[in-house]
Amino acid sequence: MKPQNNGAWLYLVPALAILGFAGVVPLVAVFNYSFFDIFTLDSAFWIGGEWYREILSSERFYASLGRSLLFSLIVLSVQMPLGVGIALLLRRSGRVSVFVLMLLAVPLVVPWNMIPTMWLSLINTENGLLGMALAKLGIGFDYKFNAVHTWIVLVAMDTWHWTGLVAVLAYAGLSGIPPAYYRAAAIDGASRYQVFRYIELPKIADVMFMALLLRFMDSFMIYIEAFRINAGGPDNATTFLSLDLGEAINGFSYGSAAAHSVIYFLMVLTIAWAFRTAMDRRGRASSEAIA
Amino acid sequence: MSNPVTRTRTGRGALLRGLAYLALALFILTPLAQTVMLSFMNTIPREGLAEGEFSLINYLNIFRSDALTSSILNSILYVTLNVALTLIAALPAAYAFSRFQFVGDRHIFFLLLAFRITPPVVLSLPVFILFAKFNLINSPVGIALVHCLFNIPIAIWILESFISAIPRELDETAFLDGYSVPRFFLTQLLPAITPGIGVAAFFCFVFSWVEVVFARILTVTAGKPITMAINSLFGFQTDIGLVMAMTVFSLVPGLAMIYFVRNHLAKGFVIRM
Repeated sequence: MKPQNNGAWLYLVPALAILGFAGVVPLVAVFNYSFFDIFTLDSAFWIGGEWYREILSSERFYASLGRSLLFSLIVLSVQMPLGVGIALLLRRSGRVSVFVLMLLAVPLVVPWNMIPTMWLSLINTENGLLGMALAKLGIGFDYKFNAVHTWIVLVAMDTWHWTGLVAVLAYAGLSGIPPAYYRAAAIDGASRYQVFRYIELPKIADVMFMALLLRFMDSFMIYIEAFRINAGGPDNATTFLSLDLGEAINGFSYGSAAAHSVIYFLMVLTIAWAFRTAMDRRGRASSEAIA
Repeated sequence: MSNPVTRTRTGRGALLRGLAYLALALFILTPLAQTVMLSFMNTIPREGLAEGEFSLINYLNIFRSDALTSSILNSILYVTLNVALTLIAALPAAYAFSRFQFVGDRHIFFLLLAFRITPPVVLSLPVFILFAKFNLINSPVGIALVHCLFNIPIAIWILESFISAIPRELDETAFLDGYSVPRFFLTQLLPAITPGIGVAAFFCFVFSWVEVVFARILTVTAGKPITMAINSLFGFQTDIGLVMAMTVFSLVPGLAMIYFVRNHLAKGFVIRM
């Protein structure tokens, strides 16, 4: 058990100072702006909750929210099983695993605004490897005007970008399982599925829960990548929450942008809170199981 | 290997695994191959050079442009600064989380989590206005500071896992021997968790290097990072070859970092409640 020591707060001072300056102060400011109609920062008029009423009663907001949720749902249901599957393969691969891990990390180091450019080049019908292949096969692929095709590009691109992270986290979780567990399972004649279900899954559950949260939030608020592919089109079919906010900022509608920011931040807080509560419950359940 | 799972593997399993890895490599490498291919291709009409022809012109053009070469330095500058700041702030915090319970520790955990998952676009406007007041626009310090928002939580998470793997006796002996806290950190703790520092530095480096929303809004007239230099290449007639050559350049530091931390990439990330 860790000793109780409130002096430990001193160790947190540098981190909290930076987070306070770069995070808390701007949050307070954005909360303040959201109640004003702002033409320039010197001429702002108090309008109370007007922006909130406008956003929360607009169909556009709920449509974007729905699209963002759907995108996250698709992305998670592809990337989580794929990442865990790759990690399970790696577990059995000995020295090759180092190379595969390096390969998995590569998409993470590509600047976010270049990923859409890479994918658009790839599906270009004139000199793109995939575009030319599809054209040869006689498959008409039109990401500009066919909403389903735009979605396919976005999901494929996001999967390319982030599955590596899920796999790395899952593999980190699997590495913490002592070999004795596997030996015991082998002696008991456990099947491959039973080993996964009763040994591997419980051991990686915590870290996968974290991976789930990270992937959910990052895909839920996808911005640059989605904007670059088709600017929310065709016909707003890929206009996600962040794209609405980006539009408000770029249109210099600061009050409205601030209200969007506050609403989105409240969503973030709710999700983080739900996550922590769920973690607490899991933690308590497992410590009771030990006791 | 004493691992029973590796011992019982069959030829058929190894073959299937090989095929799966082949598919994975194809999936990950094809967009990169496309990028490298275009970077060695002349992609706009030029005198004496056909479109689509193999050429080194894009790479030569990078060095002919001050904006492009200086952007590489700008990026390296603020990313390095960010990694240094993040590690200095996160190491003591990770130590506190690893070794002690204290009033409010759960709330700080919640705060860190919330900041990591807050999308940059939500904070971009007020951060810009605040940083303008402190003269932090166009300065590497501004971007380095704001990137700490998502990097400090990640670094604390990674470092906490590594510190918790070190037995508490290390601290106790050092303090009994009369070490001061800073001296203990530098001479005992740091050498014991070098791989953890490497992994934390890797992820901070990467997430700062690839981030574009803050980097764009905080560089108005000068100090443009590599990502924004590439953005400015898009126009009426985009030289996609040059864009791709620049993208290839932007991958080099990240790929080098991957190589350095390859043996520790998937360690840490332990969650202790």
